[in-house]
Amino acid sequence: MSRPIVSPELARVLNFVGMMAMVGVLIGAYIIQFYYRELPCTLCLLQRLAMVGVAVGAAMNLMLGPDPRHYGVCLISAAFGLTISVRQSMLHINPFFDKTTGLPTMEATANAPFGESIFGLNMYVWGLVIFGTVMLAVGIAQLFHGQFEPSKKEPKWLSQLATIGVRSLVVVVALQTVTTFLECGPGDCPNNGVWDWWILR
Amino acid sequence: MMTLAFGLLTVSSFFLWFNKARWGWSLVLAALVIGIIIFVQDVDFSTNLGIQL
Repeated sequence: MSRPIVSPELARVLNFVGMMAMVGVLIGAYIIQFYYRELPCTLCLLQRLAMVGVAVGAAMNLMLGPDPRHYGVCLISAAFGLTISVRQSMLHINPFFDKTTGLPTMEATANAPFGESIFGLNMYVWGLVIFGTVMLAVGIAQLFHGQFEPSKKEPKWLSQLATIGVRSLVVVVALQTVTTFLECGPGDCPNNGVWDWWILR
Repeated sequence: MMTLAFGLLTVSSFFLWFNKARWGWSLVLAALVIGIIIFVQDVDFSTNLGIQL
């Protein structure tokens, strides 16, 4: 019997890398949020929600072993996130569209970009790139069915890697839950990016 | 609503860490359903979408 190109162990390591990439993006978003004192809008938070969904799917692959259902969680989350980032990019991509009236306008700055740009792209455009990449990566990953074969005894280093990864995910998601509550409270989240926490009103 | 969605994801990842719970995906889907509800509420389809539905 030939050895699979992508073994269950390698697939778990790749899922660890993907999950940490999502955690890194969320931490980066946090740094930008507090450095520029800009609260995330509703659509921004929904994209973060989708990124956490992708990370949880990858974490399930990491902890429980590769499974098509776990990849499905990643894909559904990425599709949701892509929808949100396309929507937000479309809102800002056409400067000749007044978002308050929904009508065409001659004023090019009527619908200015939201937030700071990072490496020349706004956060929601980065979201579009990230979710598109996730969908592509998950699609390619599913081509290698050797990863779904039953794994031999789990190496200790892999178990430790999985624990470190999931712990970091839990910390970031818990922090996100707390700050979302402090920002939005039980109601709707603000959409103007102003540093106006619900808890401080 | 948004806090609830993130809370579900926190519970999902928390149980994944402690119990290696296999049902965590259902909480992710529940969080996404809440996200879809928030998204649909956020879009003013009559004026803000920019296209005629």
